Amino acid sequence: MSDKPVQGEKRVFMTGNEVVAWAALAAEVDIMYGYPITPQNEIMHYWTRMAPKFGRKFLQTEDEISAGFTTVGGVMAGKKAFSATAGPGNTLFQEPMSMAEMMRIPTVVVIQQRGGPSTATVIYSQQEVTMTTFGGNGEGFRVVYSTAGHQDLYDYTIKSFNTAWKYRFPTFVLADGYQAKMREPLTIYDPAEKGIEMVKPEPFVGRPGMPGVDRPTQYLRNTYNTEVELYDAVMDIAKDYEAAMEDLMEWENFMTDDAETLIVAHGVVSRAAQGALPELRDAGIKVGHFRPITLRPFANEELRKAAKNAKKILVVESAYGQFLKLVKEALYGMDLPIETILRPGVGITSEEIVARIKEGR
Amino acid sequence: MAIKIALAGEGGQGVQAIANILAEAADAEGKEAIYIPNFGVEQRGGVSIAYVQIDDERIGSPKFPKGDIVIALSARAIERTRRYVDERTTFVYDSSITAAAEIQEDVMGVQANDADPRVQRETMTVDSSKENKSGLNLPDNAANVIGIPANDIAKNDLHPRVFNVIILGAVIKATGVVPVESIKKAIEDKLGSKFEANPELRELNYKALEKGMSLVERVV
Repeated sequence: MSDKPVQGEKRVFMTGNEVVAWAALAAEVDIMYGYPITPQNEIMHYWTRMAPKFGRKFLQTEDEISAGFTTVGGVMAGKKAFSATAGPGNTLFQEPMSMAEMMRIPTVVVIQQRGGPSTATVIYSQQEVTMTTFGGNGEGFRVVYSTAGHQDLYDYTIKSFNTAWKYRFPTFVLADGYQAKMREPLTIYDPAEKGIEMVKPEPFVGRPGMPGVDRPTQYLRNTYNTEVELYDAVMDIAKDYEAAMEDLMEWENFMTDDAETLIVAHGVVSRAAQGALPELRDAGIKVGHFRPITLRPFANEELRKAAKNAKKILVVESAYGQFLKLVKEALYGMDLPIETILRPGVGITSEEIVARIKEGR
Repeated sequence: MAIKIALAGEGGQGVQAIANILAEAADAEGKEAIYIPNFGVEQRGGVSIAYVQIDDERIGSPKFPKGDIVIALSARAIERTRRYVDERTTFVYDSSITAAAEIQEDVMGVQANDADPRVQRETMTVDSSKENKSGLNLPDNAANVIGIPANDIAKNDLHPRVFNVIILGAVIKATGVVPVESIKKAIEDKLGSKFEANPELRELNYKALEKGMSLVERVV
């Protein structure tokens, strides 16, 4: 039995689901809890195939509510646990993840967005943005990484475990059905060889010693009796979240310095935006692209900086305005017209973006 | 050079398998490749579409509006892939298929039971004066339209199971996007264990591949 699933660097050609399973192995995950749903099923399939070879475990639960709560339970017991889901499963995950938010339990859930509402399609969408960023009962104190391809899936799945354990906020890797099922090349690696130190999990319950005597008491509360108690508890979380935000926010700028038209897109749609830039620039159009990597927290100031020379914004997403809301909030007060390409459940191509910007000149 | 391929057929015809092999062979050649499957919730019976892009440079959006090569292996697949065809597209279809029975709205109650649109069968409702004898409504804006009788060849000369490999052969010949040796290696990686148990299967697959290649000319 080898304890290093990935050694050195290796170029591979895989589906995104397979990438996630490898990344979780490389991130020293102990156990996956899960319930099958398309298009994330193969994360579980690959995990169950590989986990026993490396002494890792898997539990299939009776539904997603249970998968979420067992993940929370596994983490409380000191295991590095995670889960993966999509669509209606993500809906059910919001309850346990709200609990994790309140109890500051470091959970990781990979979301492979499918079409909504309800079960809708099994293929693709970006329609789980609102639910993943703010879906629980609570304030949305969580971290959401929106990936744009397989290298991202590998890098950010690994990173999400350190983010979750370091800051103790529920952390989501938000991908989609294309990324789940698509095959493309990437490089997998052993995080240690890249100087990435994986945070070791610690038990939240059942620690040795007498609480209050040998060690501080752990207050793991999810229920508060009075308004004031709840207020204090939530404000403490808010304070921690705001303190961590600067560290957590991630984004990418593409030719934004002189951009008069700024395309704002996230996830796999960012690739269509990146692909559109050369042709538009060749045509003499000053266009740039801003891609938030974290959708929560959202890099508001960085978007405003990227838009400083812009005469208009083009928001592009495979949903009907879920991402647009985040962008509008970030740009509040800036006097900029916002145009949109909103395609719920449908992939967006570079050609569409090029055509829109050319016709809008 | 970028090549965009859309392959569509009925679920179970194996379009996803060959798209996968194609992408894997391109990756092994050191090219950039993306393959995305697209299908409905049904295991079998729906139209299944595979999108493949092969390029020398990093590929942007995984989907594309128009294909260089569009392959449709059933009447319904022709309808579903029409939107990917433009004046630069080579459109390949299986000329051994015929149009699905037409359902007339006014007798729906009777026909809905026995005219399952998934079943392809000859129909009397086709206008026989049309140039295309199969009754298939082929796109008229493509650069090339190539009909290959893959189904018939598979059934009569080889084996129905290698139908998709004939198509794969036609694709690599038409596009020249990967050499046949890499395709053979990708097939070997996928089916090697089955070939060990039954070496005739290997021969059958290779024959199907070569048959497919012999049916078309290089067009891209």
